[in-house]
Amino acid sequence: MEFVSPEGLRLDGRRPMEMRQIRAEIGAVSKADGSAIFEMGNTKVIAAVYGPREVQNRSQQISSHALVRCEYSMANFSTGDRMRKPKGDRRSTEISLVIRQTMEACILTHLLPRSQIDIYVQVLQADGGTRSACINAATLALADAGIPMRDFVTSCSAGYLNSTPLLDLNYVEDSAGGPDVTLGILPKLDKVTLFQMDSKLPIDILENVMQLAIEGCKAIASYIREILLENTNQLEYRRGV
Amino acid sequence: MLHNKSFVKKTKGGKVMKQVREHYLRDDIYCGAPFCTVCDSSAARLGASPSTILIVDTNVVLNQIDLLENPAFDNVVLLSIVLEEVKNKNMSVYNRVRSICSNSTRKVFVFSNEYHRDTYVKEMSGETKNDRNDRAIRVATQWYQNHLGGDVKVLLITNDKENKRKACEEGIFAETVESYVKSLDRSDLLDLLVRPASEDVDMEEVEDLRPSKRKVIYSEHKPMSEITSGLHRGIYHQGKLRVNRHNPFEAYVGSESIGDEIIIYGRSNMNRAFDGDIVAVELLPQDQWQEASSLSIAGEEDEDVDEGVHLAPNSADHAPRTIPQQGSSEKVNAASNRPSGRIVGIIKRNWHSYCGSLDPMPMPAGSGGIAHALFVSKDRRIPKIRIQTRQLENLLDKRIIVAVDSWDRQSRYPSGHYVRTIGEIGDRDTESEVVLIENDINTRPFSSQVLACLPPLPWSVSSEDLSNPIRQDLRHLRVFSVDPPGCKDIDDALHCHTLSNGNFEVGVHIADVTNFVHPGTPLDDEASQRGTSVYLVERRIDMLPKPLTEDICSLRSDVERLAFSVIWEMTPEADIVSTRYTKSVIKSSAALSYVEAQARMDDSRLMDPITADLRNMNILAKKMRLRRIERGALTLASAEVKFQIDTETHDPLDIGMYQIREANQMVEEFMLAANVSVAEQILKTFPLCSLLRRHPTPTREMLEPFLRTATAVGLHLDVSSSKALADSLDHAVGDDPYFNKLIRILATRCMSQAVYFCSGDLSPPEYHHYGLASPLYTHFTSPIRRYADVIVHRLLAASLGISKLPSVFQDRLQLTNISDNLNYRHRNAQYAGRASVELHTLIYFRKRPTDTEARIVKIRSNGFFVFVPKYGIEGPVYLTKADKGSGEWYVDEQQQKIKKMDGSLSYSILQTVQIHMEVVEPQPNRPKLQLTLI
Amino acid sequence: MGGLSLGEKHFIQGGIAQDLRCDGRKRLAYRPIYVETGVIPQANGSARVRMGATDVIASVKAELGKPSLLQPDKGKVSIYIDCSSTAEPAFEGRGGDELATELSVALQRCLLGGKSGAGAGIDLSSLIVVEGKICWDLYIDGLVVSSDGNLLDALGASIKAALSNTGIPRVQVAAGTANDEQPEVDVSDEEFLQFDTSGVPVIVTLTKVGRHYIVDATSEEESQMSSAVSISVNRQGHICGITKRGGAALDPSIILDMISVAKHVSEQVINKLDSEIASAEAQEES
Repeated sequence: MEFVSPEGLRLDGRRPMEMRQIRAEIGAVSKADGSAIFEMGNTKVIAAVYGPREVQNRSQQISSHALVRCEYSMANFSTGDRMRKPKGDRRSTEISLVIRQTMEACILTHLLPRSQIDIYVQVLQADGGTRSACINAATLALADAGIPMRDFVTSCSAGYLNSTPLLDLNYVEDSAGGPDVTLGILPKLDKVTLFQMDSKLPIDILENVMQLAIEGCKAIASYIREILLENTNQLEYRRGV
Repeated sequence: MLHNKSFVKKTKGGKVMKQVREHYLRDDIYCGAPFCTVCDSSAARLGASPSTILIVDTNVVLNQIDLLENPAFDNVVLLSIVLEEVKNKNMSVYNRVRSICSNSTRKVFVFSNEYHRDTYVKEMSGETKNDRNDRAIRVATQWYQNHLGGDVKVLLITNDKENKRKACEEGIFAETVESYVKSLDRSDLLDLLVRPASEDVDMEEVEDLRPSKRKVIYSEHKPMSEITSGLHRGIYHQGKLRVNRHNPFEAYVGSESIGDEIIIYGRSNMNRAFDGDIVAVELLPQDQWQEASSLSIAGEEDEDVDEGVHLAPNSADHAPRTIPQQGSSEKVNAASNRPSGRIVGIIKRNWHSYCGSLDPMPMPAGSGGIAHALFVSKDRRIPKIRIQTRQLENLLDKRIIVAVDSWDRQSRYPSGHYVRTIGEIGDRDTESEVVLIENDINTRPFSSQVLACLPPLPWSVSSEDLSNPIRQDLRHLRVFSVDPPGCKDIDDALHCHTLSNGNFEVGVHIADVTNFVHPGTPLDDEASQRGTSVYLVERRIDMLPKPLTEDICSLRSDVERLAFSVIWEMTPEADIVSTRYTKSVIKSSAALSYVEAQARMDDSRLMDPITADLRNMNILAKKMRLRRIERGALTLASAEVKFQIDTETHDPLDIGMYQIREANQMVEEFMLAANVSVAEQILKTFPLCSLLRRHPTPTREMLEPFLRTATAVGLHLDVSSSKALADSLDHAVGDDPYFNKLIRILATRCMSQAVYFCSGDLSPPEYHHYGLASPLYTHFTSPIRRYADVIVHRLLAASLGISKLPSVFQDRLQLTNISDNLNYRHRNAQYAGRASVELHTLIYFRKRPTDTEARIVKIRSNGFFVFVPKYGIEGPVYLTKADKGSGEWYVDEQQQKIKKMDGSLSYSILQTVQIHMEVVEPQPNRPKLQLTLI
Repeated sequence: MGGLSLGEKHFIQGGIAQDLRCDGRKRLAYRPIYVETGVIPQANGSARVRMGATDVIASVKAELGKPSLLQPDKGKVSIYIDCSSTAEPAFEGRGGDELATELSVALQRCLLGGKSGAGAGIDLSSLIVVEGKICWDLYIDGLVVSSDGNLLDALGASIKAALSNTGIPRVQVAAGTANDEQPEVDVSDEEFLQFDTSGVPVIVTLTKVGRHYIVDATSEEESQMSSAVSISVNRQGHICGITKRGGAALDPSIILDMISVAKHVSEQVINKLDSEIASAEAQEES
């Protein structure tokens, strides 16, 4: 299968180093303490943050820092073939764990002892790169909830098909069976917090693919920063500051 | 700019799914014209100031690819929508178009109209996909015209009337291919045009020279839906048509649904199918099942099947296929039990282009006009092809390539069009190229991606190689190689020394090709595709790039090389005490030729260590060989010839039988032993995915003609087992010294060839190698020139824990595909090699008419076939003129004799006759070797 | 909503009694309704409906199936609702299942009529491709993204909007298949059939708080309810289904009263919704 034409265009018309269109919106769930919608092309996720609040289950309370919990779920209509999946299947449990660990690493949990932060991510549409979109949405939702963080985490994926590193794989490219590298970085600290890859890849190529994913993360970071700034400006404006 | 495309997809389970794909429209897609002031022209491919830029539609690409490939057809813009449609319809045309696009000398530019902001068109409601795509092509054409301005004419080439009409309405220049090419005034280009089979284009002045009385010759092909349901209900059977190489009127369809081969006799039952087509067959009623009668040398129907002189076959695969005859009486027309059928439809065409020449014909009056000619393919399985040409006089004495376009029910032959000229008939280079093209041999230079996989040159064994724990340092051993003179791709070397306990240590060292060819790399893919090196008389087409073949892998003398070694401890009686396998570093101390090695062994004055080793090995080899023969290995014989080639002109200077010496047999013996040892080792570790080689036991049917010959000369042969046959062959001694060899040659050609297979596909008893009388066999010893050996090297390395087994081996299907390809390539390489020898034989005899001795090997009603031992060729000798009946002579089937009616003369099988060999030209530019009785 | 103080509770109840609710509405006033269609491109139809802080998404997916033996001339429609944990931490894990089931059943009853499908809001016979053999099965999935009361009305509205957004590919049936065989079908890419959704009812839920009942209750108000009656009414003013929730018993006359109020309110809701849907569709087109 030809994923990159000899003219250098991918199936959806992007060039190998281009990301899909991204869009973010803060405050989609007004009842939540913080929430955001994040879209990468046709992948669309909602994240809602509840907390910091009292620990619901006393036995889980941690006296030195906050308890961070995360649940990932996919809407029935999020994939092409409609399927009613029970909550908590292996894949969503794994992704929940990945998101929780990634977010926990950047939340200053020691500032919020004996409290609980819940992150709920709901996939409305899946078209490749859901993990990354979830993490980006969660970052925005946490920021919206005003939870203290070291830096915000941004994530992006990259793959390698037809001997070309490709940024931000969509579903078709992801299903090609090639390697898919999902990376999460702390842009200000310039550190990698999340790194996952399936399939195999020679090390020297991995380096290129990883570098590409990092570039993607940085681009998302600057977009997220913009969105947050705009949101803050609006908040100021509403308060009449 | 973003746009979502949605479409409906039906899944396998019959579910309907709506799919949505993003589709980005861009503003950075450039027009590819270097003179454009707006666009970035760094990737521009079009001419600097063309008067016309052509935009072609999908059907033009699909039908007129040969025209597009002609460099005269330039300044072409290919739209991405066109490429996409071509890709969906015909992958091979797509690959050809893509290679035109990537050819930097061609002024062809691909414009991604589907991603361009201004040229993307959205489907309108009620519009079919085709209409939408046609509109997209028109929109893109219009865009080009507006974009480039009035100085350049942008011309849409389409044969679709509707599209052309709409284009004209929209103010776009549009023309049909025919009218455009005509306007160029190039007769050679006009020949490349495919004649439309339908009424799509008005053919103005092409007068039909064919008989005006057009009657239907072939029955209609059933529509696809009927075929599908017929296959479903078991009325029709699907399979690939294989035409008999030696009798194009006979073909076979291997059908899975009835588990047998269906025989198709005659052109009308074949119903316009070509060799390799996937067809649907209907069985004939059983009383119409028939046997072929192949008693006459000349052919049937109106075409004369010319059985010319050719190289003596050395296996059943090269020999004409014989259908077993029940009883020995001639004219068996009783119903046979082999199913016969007729073709009712063609599921998938295997049309491609074919090499050959035009049927000689007189120049039509008023030259310069269009002439209709018949093209005869070199491949006899292909029917004659009707073509039109405006350059008949140029083509008559040329080898040309012709592509098939259509075959309608009214015409006896398919129609096609001229593609290109290879060269003059009979010219050595031309004919060599024909041989290569015909056998699908890739002679293209290795691509840069493949060459990028080579280690940097000059290469030498590095300290890492030496310190690698998997690699044993065997540089201290006295290793040497024995090969044919002038051999540059030395893939095997040997050593032998005496151990303190009186036993011998014998080592076979094989070039460690897998150290350089890693699975999954372009280099590996290329080698896997090529499958084998091909040896023609005057040139070699390598499987691996030259630096690997001749230098890095080649175990040349006095340089350190990496090897994969099999080392045995053997008793003086040549019993194997132990076997070990290891990767190694060796340093060959001598690269000997067979002649040199033989001379050293024979020269009793020489006492140097290498000569001593050679002698020891020879003693061991003789014992091994004896034991093998006792087990029932056949000493088969073939008549291989050797040419001496003039280094200047590359013409053959001399021709003679290839002499087999003890030294050859010695090396062969150790290679066989290494292959057997390796086969045992890999099968032990990987019982399901080993690549082995088997030689099927010949069936009685296959041996039948041979046995009949033997009986006729009073020889009784026991063929119950290979051992019995071997013994019978040993006892077959006639009154002349050559008799035994002749019998062996005849026996050999009855057997099919050994084939590669994947051990998981067959059961262990089927692994048997009949000719070598070995339960297991594989190829390990020539990885430089055979890909099978590369695979076996990887298997062996994995079985020793040296490396991991590549993932291909987990996929049985893929492994089977690989072994099928290897068999195909191997067979083709052999066909090519033989064809090359035949060609050089012809060139040799062109200037040297010769009288020589020949043996009769086959009796026919109007003559017989003789085998010429000295030159290894075989051909017909006619006793009667081809056009006269065979009244004068009659054949005694029982005694295999042909007798004159009056009893004055008779010839019997295996009889020695004197013949005269001469190259004649019965028709201009069609030289052939003729054998006549003296 | 266990977190309300006594004072807050009184405030809510008192407001309702005085026909001035906490957010300034009258008892029979709806919050503004926002409709967005085509939010899930992968579905055959979809819509997002927001009423205050209540936010729901409905999608319609069409699949080819076989009609049931009892109804060979009708297609099948099923409704499933999911409560996302983003809406309420309590929905985490299986926490939302009970509410989801309750909502699914209520919506089925209100929109699809009885088992026979007789009172369904959409013409089920329009879903038939080949009688007795092939029909379209519609799967309607609702997702509660954010919840601030009156989920049922919001889901009902989103389903109506999603259905009117739905396009179904045209199907070509291969001719000449024998009677007992499943016919081969060919699904076209481009031609979409639109549904007639004018008959799809809207749901009006009347929540009884104290002695009064209100429409479009927020979750704070719902926490104070004694019972609620959901009535689905179509454009003709016909009652298509009724569900009563909540424990307290009601006087039959009050129910009849509620129905007539619902009928009255539904007219405004239908008009409001239809114009919202039309403008949303127009927005999507552009």
